Amino acid sequence: MLFLQNARIASENSPVLLESDVLIVEGIIQDIGSNLAIPKGARVIDARGRVLMPAMFDAHVHFRAPGFENKETITTGSEAAINGGITGVVMMPNTRPALDSATSVATVLDNAKRKARIPVYTSGCVTKDRQGKELAEIEGMRTLGVKMLTDDGDTTSDPAVLLRAMQYATEFGMFFASHCEVPELAGPRALNEGVMSYRLGIKGSPTCAEEIIIDRDIRLARAAGAHVHIQHVSSKLGMETIRWWKSRGDVKVTAEVAPHHLMFTDEHIGDYDTNYKMNPPLRTQADCDALLEGLIEGVFDLIATDHAPHTPFEKAQDFVTAPNGITGLDTALVSLYHHFVEPGKFGWDLVVKRYSAEPRRLMGLPVPTIEVGQQAECVLFDTEAETTFTREFMKSKSQNTPFIDQTLKGRVDLVILGPEILLER
Amino acid sequence: MARKDLLDIASLHREEIEFLLDQSTSFKKLFTRSVKKIPALEGKSVLMLFYEASTRTHSSFEVAAKRLSAEVTNFDVDHSSITKGESVRETIETLQAMRTDYIVVRHGHSGLPGMIARQTTASVINAGDGAHEHPTQALLDAFTIKEKFPDPRGKKVLIIGDILHSRVARSTSTLLQKLGVEVAYLGPGSLVPKYGPATIPRFTDYQAAMAWTPDIVYLLRVQMERQDVQFFPNVREYHRVYGITNSRLAEIRDRGLYIMHPGPVNRGVELCDAVMDYERSLITNQVENGISIRMAVLDWLTPGGNFRGRNRMPRGSEPTQR
Ligand SMILES: [Zn+2]
Repeated sequence: MLFLQNARIASENSPVLLESDVLIVEGIIQDIGSNLAIPKGARVIDARGRVLMPAMFDAHVHFRAPGFENKETITTGSEAAINGGITGVVMMPNTRPALDSATSVATVLDNAKRKARIPVYTSGCVTKDRQGKELAEIEGMRTLGVKMLTDDGDTTSDPAVLLRAMQYATEFGMFFASHCEVPELAGPRALNEGVMSYRLGIKGSPTCAEEIIIDRDIRLARAAGAHVHIQHVSSKLGMETIRWWKSRGDVKVTAEVAPHHLMFTDEHIGDYDTNYKMNPPLRTQADCDALLEGLIEGVFDLIATDHAPHTPFEKAQDFVTAPNGITGLDTALVSLYHHFVEPGKFGWDLVVKRYSAEPRRLMGLPVPTIEVGQQAECVLFDTEAETTFTREFMKSKSQNTPFIDQTLKGRVDLVILGPEILLER
Repeated sequence: MARKDLLDIASLHREEIEFLLDQSTSFKKLFTRSVKKIPALEGKSVLMLFYEASTRTHSSFEVAAKRLSAEVTNFDVDHSSITKGESVRETIETLQAMRTDYIVVRHGHSGLPGMIARQTTASVINAGDGAHEHPTQALLDAFTIKEKFPDPRGKKVLIIGDILHSRVARSTSTLLQKLGVEVAYLGPGSLVPKYGPATIPRFTDYQAAMAWTPDIVYLLRVQMERQDVQFFPNVREYHRVYGITNSRLAEIRDRGLYIMHPGPVNRGVELCDAVMDYERSLITNQVENGISIRMAVLDWLTPGGNFRGRNRMPRGSEPTQR
């Protein structure tokens, strides 16, 4: 029995935080109200001033297993999620072997059940070994619960292949997640094409490399009657392309944005800092501003981190050689609070909607709320405290994040999933 | 005011540039003496680390170091473990263990010399990194220009060619601007990036560029090897549209313009053969001045000074983490 006293409750439907006591019995929210009597034997937590919200869900993470367990494992990855206030994730299938068959998916899901304290879902490849040529074992993966198909990390190059896959998989109720980038335009280095790429002398990727595929894949989805989800959008025109298609209303499109694309620009790369090397690359302030606008407006249905761990050894290479990607789970909620909620750019309702409710709706999962009768799946967040992202604080096996050793406003104090307290600070 | 490393022009102050150009003048006076060697760097070691072949820059640094009495070692990149997949990081640790005083490095990856500099006590000199910078080339270019125009402020230099991939264009134009020289770019639309510095006019038409009335035309080497896709149809067309043809040379001679080129020249591409005999070509002056400039740089840097250690490395890169 857990009694949270005077918590400020957040929900996706209201910008106002209502102060209430919350009683949780055996993982179920039993009562909510002001000045509730404290039941005998209940553990009382003074939550005054702290925000209680439904726990987050991240629809885009790389847990690197199988094949790259030196970077991350399902255990360390899910602990990083919990550390950040996240109680469910969808893994990307660019592992080795790639998750392109029922066999490989079954192994991963079996591992996840044994090694993670939160539900870990996985997407499956569109094509065999992500090569863009032959279709993956789509229906076989569906029988194991896979809903999202993606060759994330790469665009499925051949539009004919993707169209066939869409026509085929839509029959099974599956949807497509698109990593949008024309490789011939983008080149091998993850850097925005612009003033910064010129100054650093590294071939940049123009935003049109992204815009073209966003547009292409939505058109393909429209032709196939499929649902396409656009991943980690980085550019203003990319956002506007999605906005335009959504306004037409004749194709099912959803989209996500990553916290780092809202917070950082290519200027942050400075003296070749590989912690800012990611794909799609960081763009300009104008792009950041447009992405924030798109998030508030709902062009982006959800926030997802694209949590992409790499070993210190790999990231310590020069900018050109170092791999793309930054970790995001440990830092996501605190950094969103620090950069946007605290300064008043958006409210808690938006955080709950875009980072808890919508990603679960995308995956067809039940959406947790702080309501009587619901399973407790929630986070208690201290808005006054601070978090210093030391190496010891991080639960991810890798710490390739620009936030390392930074102190940000806000702290995840408690993560509850049903009868279990997954984290307590 | 000495520094540990010379990695780029962008971070150099004007006074430092003036100092190096003055020093180069003094060193150049030595060249006419019968004994050209001075003991300035006696007992010091210079390691040449060239991942990209470059006879010209390599030998220029070598001659400069030897004239200062330094001991020169070539790190044999081709036969070292680097080609066997050893990471750059491990190579840097090896270099640090060698306790060399200077490392002169050329690499195809932008930013790599800076990375070495942050992890070694040696003075690192960037001898060209990717399409980023080539600071000693810029200094020798400025030195060459100042020999003809002692006060170069307001003079105009038109840089012609592959601006996009050229570290020479970046370094030299940055430095010339710091000295008050005006710079403009001319080249194919596919090789003159629209997002270069706003203060530099960009031309894609030869006549328009000449109407800008340059004092010097600076031809860049066409580097087909740097082009991962085709940026222009062929070198014959390039020569016709952007090269110094015989008729353009006549115009240049009429106007009394100087010609520069960082070498080695692709004859018949950037320049017609006749340019080699053009009295206002500064191409051999550049080669000669490369030595005195590099002497000035070696003499100026202070190995072990301002060692920033590992604290500038990306986080999580401490050896214990491996
Ligand atoms: Zn991706």
